[in-house]
Amino acid sequence: MTPFKLKIITPEKTFFSGDTTQIIAKTTMGNVGILHGHVPYVANLVSSPILIEVDGELKEAALSGGFLKVSPDDVVVVTYAIEWADEIDVARAERSKQNAEERMKRHESQKEFDRAEKKLKRALNRLLVAGRKH
Amino acid sequence: MATANMKDVKRRIKSVESTKQITKAMQLVATSKMRRAKERAVAVQPFFETLFNAMCDISSDSNFTSVFTTKVEKKKTLMIVIAGDRGLAGGFNVNVLKKAAAKAEGLKQKGRTVSIMAIGKKAVEYFSKRDYNVTDSFSEIAEGLSMYGSMDIAEDIAARFKAGEFDSVDLIYTTFVSAITQEPCEMAILPVENLNSWTNTRHAAPIYDPSPEEVFEGMIPTYLCGLLYSAIVDSFASEQAARRAAMESASDNADEMIENLSLMYNRARQAQITQELTEISSASLNDSV
Repeated sequence: MTPFKLKIITPEKTFFSGDTTQIIAKTTMGNVGILHGHVPYVANLVSSPILIEVDGELKEAALSGGFLKVSPDDVVVVTYAIEWADEIDVARAERSKQNAEERMKRHESQKEFDRAEKKLKRALNRLLVAGRKH
Repeated sequence: MATANMKDVKRRIKSVESTKQITKAMQLVATSKMRRAKERAVAVQPFFETLFNAMCDISSDSNFTSVFTTKVEKKKTLMIVIAGDRGLAGGFNVNVLKKAAAKAEGLKQKGRTVSIMAIGKKAVEYFSKRDYNVTDSFSEIAEGLSMYGSMDIAEDIAARFKAGEFDSVDLIYTTFVSAITQEPCEMAILPVENLNSWTNTRHAAPIYDPSPEEVFEGMIPTYLCGLLYSAIVDSFASEQAARRAAMESASDNADEMIENLSLMYNRARQAQITQELTEISSASLNDSV
């Protein structure tokens, strides 16, 4: 397959910059797969696992929101946070999951509840990705 | 007399020395914190540029409109004011807070209602003691600020803006010009302005999934989050730079004081010795007679 340039940018660093042949990400409308020569395309991403082809195999990473932009020359993913499966701190994710669940149970205000729900989604996403690595 | 004076001077030298140790330590801490904050401020740049470019692209789409860009007559303003959590940083907090207060007064005179989101303990204290409507306050978040922390704030602002709680959002913080200059500055962040639309002319319009409006709206929290994050980090770097400069001059002053006091001490000591010698020699003169 023809490779194309991919860049994944977070506020803290450039997480990935290099060639890949395929990525699979989840947008607000569902999963999309991007190959070389995709039409220009922009969509928002939700907290979900993202698959990136690196050295011939698909590697999985946990992505927390952001957006995806395909232009003729390259593909850019902008996100607040992304971690490879083997970088995830499972204990921390577990803790933040429990914390979020407790806050959701208390249900102090709708705002607080929504916030906790988002946190829970991110934690579950990280646990899901971390659990799948072998 | 001379002995009492010497004791006093000695005590003062000791006290100035211990103060100097503290200011010196604070200076070193501020220097290393400043360096780290500067690195973070630089690292966020590519993120923000890409984001802003993407937003410019969308806004150049022919039939694009969004509540976040539409200019209405501004009536209710939210001012986000970022100051430090601690004092002892020279004019850092005073400068930015004064600018914010002047701006708030100006807006009020134009007949707008102003609510304030205070970030940093000093900002919270300043505005809650005065006659301002402080709707949100965040203390002690700057140093260990994570993306999630600023994301929570950003999503909250976006939701409240959309609900019409306010129709413009201004940001006031201190920007890091250099290690010796930090300037308070202001920025209008909502509605989104200055989106230049030239970037997209080269390519065919991309597909926006599901629609330009929705993609743009989804980007708004990210945009606010990026802005807030970089402003808070920038302000934190400025605070550390200001503190470093203040502590450096404090240490220099302490050095000068120690020098003067030592001179005083040595003079007193010399005077005492001279006096003792005179006493001894005059006593021995008296004996020999």
